[in-house]
Amino acid sequence: MEFQEEAYEQKTGYTGAKNYQSAQVVQANATGFGAASDDFMERGIDLNEQLVRNKPATFFFRVNSDAMLGAGIHIGDTLIVDRSIQARSGNVVVAVLNGEFLVRRLQVQEHSISLLPENKKYGSIQVAQLSEYSTWGVVTFVIHNL
Amino acid sequence: MQAIVDCNSFYCSCERLFQPQLQHRPVIVLSNNDGCIVSRTDEAKQLGISMAVPYFQAKDLIEKNGVTTFSSNYHLYGDLSWRVMETTRLLLPPGHVEVYSVDEAFVDLSHLPTENVYSFCLELKNKIEQWTGISVSIGAAPNKVLSKVANRLAKKNKLKTNCVVVLDTTKKIQAALQQTPVEDIWGVGFSYSEKLKVYGINTAYTLSIKDLSWGKRFLGGVVGMRLIRELKGFKSHSMQAPRTEKKMIATTRMFGRNVSEWQEIEEALATYTTRAAEKLRRQHSAATGIAVFLLKKAPIQLDAAYYNRGRQVSGYTQLDNPTQSTPDLIKAVVAIGKSLYEKGEVYKKAGVILSGFVPDSALQTNLFVAPIDTKKKKLMHVIDNMNAAYRNDVLKFGTSGTQKNWKMRSEKRSKRFTTRWDELCMVK
Repeated sequence: MEFQEEAYEQKTGYTGAKNYQSAQVVQANATGFGAASDDFMERGIDLNEQLVRNKPATFFFRVNSDAMLGAGIHIGDTLIVDRSIQARSGNVVVAVLNGEFLVRRLQVQEHSISLLPENKKYGSIQVAQLSEYSTWGVVTFVIHNL
Repeated sequence: MQAIVDCNSFYCSCERLFQPQLQHRPVIVLSNNDGCIVSRTDEAKQLGISMAVPYFQAKDLIEKNGVTTFSSNYHLYGDLSWRVMETTRLLLPPGHVEVYSVDEAFVDLSHLPTENVYSFCLELKNKIEQWTGISVSIGAAPNKVLSKVANRLAKKNKLKTNCVVVLDTTKKIQAALQQTPVEDIWGVGFSYSEKLKVYGINTAYTLSIKDLSWGKRFLGGVVGMRLIRELKGFKSHSMQAPRTEKKMIATTRMFGRNVSEWQEIEEALATYTTRAAEKLRRQHSAATGIAVFLLKKAPIQLDAAYYNRGRQVSGYTQLDNPTQSTPDLIKAVVAIGKSLYEKGEVYKKAGVILSGFVPDSALQTNLFVAPIDTKKKKLMHVIDNMNAAYRNDVLKFGTSGTQKNWKMRSEKRSKRFTTRWDELCMVK
């Protein structure tokens, strides 16, 4: 149904940040000569706005392997995972293979699905037809401590 | 049309989402204090594990079949419940979703032409599943009672129905009612279903062809009349506005073990009061009525035919001034508790119930008593904010104790994967 697709488009933005109210804008409220900048005050930068596009579908994971080092994903990093995004070939995804969570680059070919690492220490995994596989979500951002 | 969206084995589905090795395996979740089975997967159901059965009774069956068992993890379930409800709300016009419980929501589909209802429900089901990872069943029908009937059929045969059943014709409604035993109708309790069977009414269908006046006479007056009306396909229950303000707040819990020392009971009462007072302030109310109860351990009778419940003692105080301040409430609760407590007795459970609410904006003070202290209100505001920001109750009142030996058992609780930074799910 077309009209519904349209509704999704409009509504899939980060819903948490929309709860922000104009009263929450910080102002100087100077007692002396009126702070000219008050007229230009707006809400500050909110990381959620940038990193969480669809709140009910966004989850966080902790990385426990160096398999994706080449993609800038280190041990201890936080992954931001959006389940509402349709996984495409080339996306970095959180996948479930035989009951285990893996972060890899997804490669979808006509008759096969592969999970590619970005570290020479690891081999790529061709998902066998009989194995239990599902793509859990698409990784949209990595939070890395410097 | 109306629909009900109902999560499949909700608590178990939440556990499986972060423990995918449990897919297709029997899983159960226990209630508070690991007392009863409150959620089970289809696989556990097939093993003959029933709902609401005390854990110890099913323990043999559970261990023999390697059923994975969890203590309730309300942090996780609450968060995933919000996600399911929020996704549902995003896909419907404002005001069309009535959250009915942690895992169920009524949905008003009056904006859709009947012929689109099925495809919409399927779409809604798939979206919720994709976004939140929680699978749901959807039943749609002309009213709430029939949507529940439809939902039950969707759940009963998930493969065949794809978890969506729409009753959009008289014929389909009739067939569905014929497949529904009276005890499975929404709002018909055990005692009514027994009564109905005496009158020879065994299925929802036979009940639906009764007159409204019959329902009024034999099925609890107006309530019964409404029920039969809905079974006939008319609408008697409208969508309800969210219940944001409660008229009563109760915090009652079983102790993790037998408790007989006054100090431990005092700590438990103070802790429960703290929780109840937080809820009270969150809805901007102040309480005037306070009730406290203590449940004694039942004397052990080996040959008793049924489970023996201990004796309950309770007390009530009407406050002169409405209050929402935790220390004031603790003081009153502890005083009642102390009057109920008997040395040497063994207690299993305690509870605090706040009632008689007034809005906290205009605390109506007694003419002869000093006005309410706004300082207290400010203090509680600061404490609430700090506890919300830092979690784990960084600030609490001394009476609630530090050891909490009486605390509930939750030995098999999984991690709080979605609400705590230090408990995130690991990925390799």
